[in-house]
Amino acid sequence: MPEGILTLRSPEDDINVVHDFIERIWGENPDLSVMDRLRFETAFIELAANVIQHADEGNGIVADISITIDGDCISGQISDSSPAGMVDLAMREMPDENAESGRGIAFIQRLVDVFHYERREDENLWIIQKRREQPQAC
Amino acid sequence: MVITTRPLDELVSVISGEGRLNMVSAPRLREAVAAAIAGGRPRIVVDLSSIDFMDSSGLGALVGCLKTARQAGGDVRICTPSSQVEMVLQLSNLDRILTSYGSPEEAYRA
Repeated sequence: MPEGILTLRSPEDDINVVHDFIERIWGENPDLSVMDRLRFETAFIELAANVIQHADEGNGIVADISITIDGDCISGQISDSSPAGMVDLAMREMPDENAESGRGIAFIQRLVDVFHYERREDENLWIIQKRREQPQAC
Repeated sequence: MVITTRPLDELVSVISGEGRLNMVSAPRLREAVAAAIAGGRPRIVVDLSSIDFMDSSGLGALVGCLKTARQAGGDVRICTPSSQVEMVLQLSNLDRILTSYGSPEEAYRA
């Protein structure tokens, strides 16, 4: 069962709605390690920000966001109904120190164990997964 | 995010943020730094002690602020980042150009 589900409507909702959603889930799962939370949240916020920024073609976006936690893994999923975009998930170099943008995807790739995209019917589906540092018995 | 600016001495401004430095709040940090430079204090300390989360937009704003300050003959230094902010700085290798200090007063002491 998902730990939490959020429907995001942008531009009415901004990235802070996703932060608040994640914070609520962390509050309900106090056994997660600090490093698991920091790495997953940083990656998931980059993904959500990317969807908000790039999926909108002027009509706003609606995205379903869910996070699931089990004994081994934290999983996050975002599906949005925007047109398929140009998505290149090949391993990204970290931009040089003078760059003011372009680090989001590189961060996700370095922070979590699985970063997956697929076009499914008329939706974009994004999945990230972070293995827990100290797996818990289910 | 709440941003406040205070003078530390004739040339140094301390800019403190509270909350999340992300795609929503990053433009406000750029504005605060631009205003401090325009006010004659191009040496900036960004006090990160109350920033509990920073994403790549926030990091991009810090880089932009650093470039703007250096063009004006100043600099941007940071102090007291949280664990998450420190992680993001290391991941991006920006900890090499954004040196972190223990307090605003220490940042320009040398």
